[in-house]
Amino acid sequence: MFSKKELKLAGALAVCLLVIGVISYAAFPLQAPPEPLRLMFNVAAGNVLFNHKIHAAVSGYGLSCGDCHHTLSEDEYADAQSCSECHELDEGDEEMPKRADAFHLQCINCHKDFEAGPIECTGCHAL
Amino acid sequence: MLEKRDVLEQQTPLRQKKLIVSHAPFFHSGRTVTERSYHTMLAALPALLLGFYYYGMPAFGVVCLSISTAILWELVVNLVTKRTITIGDGNAAWLGMLFGMLVPATMPWWAVITGTFIVIVIGKQIFGGIGSNAFHPVALALAMMMLSWRSLFDFDAALLNYDLEFATIYPLAAVKYFGAASLDAFSLLDLLMGKQLGGIGSAFGLGLLIGGIYLMLRGFIRWEISLTFLAGIFATAFVFNLFDPARFAPPAFHLLTGYTLIGAFFLATEDSSSPVNFVPMLIYGAAGGMMTVLIRNIGAWVDGVILAILVINLISPLLDKIRPQALGKVE
Repeated sequence: MFSKKELKLAGALAVCLLVIGVISYAAFPLQAPPEPLRLMFNVAAGNVLFNHKIHAAVSGYGLSCGDCHHTLSEDEYADAQSCSECHELDEGDEEMPKRADAFHLQCINCHKDFEAGPIECTGCHAL
Repeated sequence: MLEKRDVLEQQTPLRQKKLIVSHAPFFHSGRTVTERSYHTMLAALPALLLGFYYYGMPAFGVVCLSISTAILWELVVNLVTKRTITIGDGNAAWLGMLFGMLVPATMPWWAVITGTFIVIVIGKQIFGGIGSNAFHPVALALAMMMLSWRSLFDFDAALLNYDLEFATIYPLAAVKYFGAASLDAFSLLDLLMGKQLGGIGSAFGLGLLIGGIYLMLRGFIRWEISLTFLAGIFATAFVFNLFDPARFAPPAFHLLTGYTLIGAFFLATEDSSSPVNFVPMLIYGAAGGMMTVLIRNIGAWVDGVILAILVINLISPLLDKIRPQALGKVE
């Protein structure tokens, strides 16, 4: 039904691209950058896409690491960890607010102080 | 036993009782399915190349794996069902490439292989192979994948680790969740030039336009479907925008974002799942465009192209009932 040339072309495509595809997946996986660019918080009230880079970059909002990662001194900035290392998802008290409360306090207060950025739920949460 | 007179009548057409009218002998144009498949792949290449430029080797890996596994799935089905080997027509390669163009660059390998399995086996071969499928195989596969693994198609989440030179938020998600005020981050020129998050080969508007125009001029796809699809999107988005400009994006935005252009030129126009008559083609395209915007603006999904195309595929046989009246009459 098909010429040998057509079958050979399809066969060659299948084999060559399979090899290239496997090598691409194995040898060139996408590496996460050392400092996050953007973070996606998956929460029931609607996911929040947080642009870490624009908050931290000098050309962006120019925040210092310690402005948000508040327990760190300047020489510890390179060791900054995820907020949920301390602020747990479900449990919290006055001394250690749970993650949602910590974020709401941190984000909304900062946005209010600088009179910039959203302060309403739908400004951050994808509802 | 036949009488001598009957035998004579069969052998000599002039002695037939009725004059039999038939069409003229066929003339082969020289075009083949293979040529059509590879030309369609060529037309889609500009859009894909920009995807490789922005998303690098991971994107290249996704598309390579997608094309190769689509061909291999087709070969497996051919061998298992003991039918003619059909990989030579290039259709499986094209469907694999199209699937790769629609997914994000970070699609895991197992999802690509599962996706091409759905494209080839469930979307195409179960119906009987090329020309027999009721739905576009890639649209069907993508819809099934989106329903099964919705998070894989969240472009914002999938492309978190890419540092790109443009607004790194999926435009349709931005406008759906944060209203038309979020449109300031996007310029129409940027969207046209592919500076937007999206599938590997579905974000470069100009590339898709060039490919689509090439296919229309060569007669590989029908302009009636593509243009009415875009017109349907424009008109419906215009009405929504007129009704509430703070909530709904203007029509030009809808034309250049999401799967609009790849849907208009490469998905809606598939042969076996689209109508063949002129008026049905117009209705089919316009209905697809209208459904797309309805799903985007008031539906649960961020983009509506895939589901809208499945809906119009579904009504395609009904639309083809609208046909020109036959000349003459039967007594």
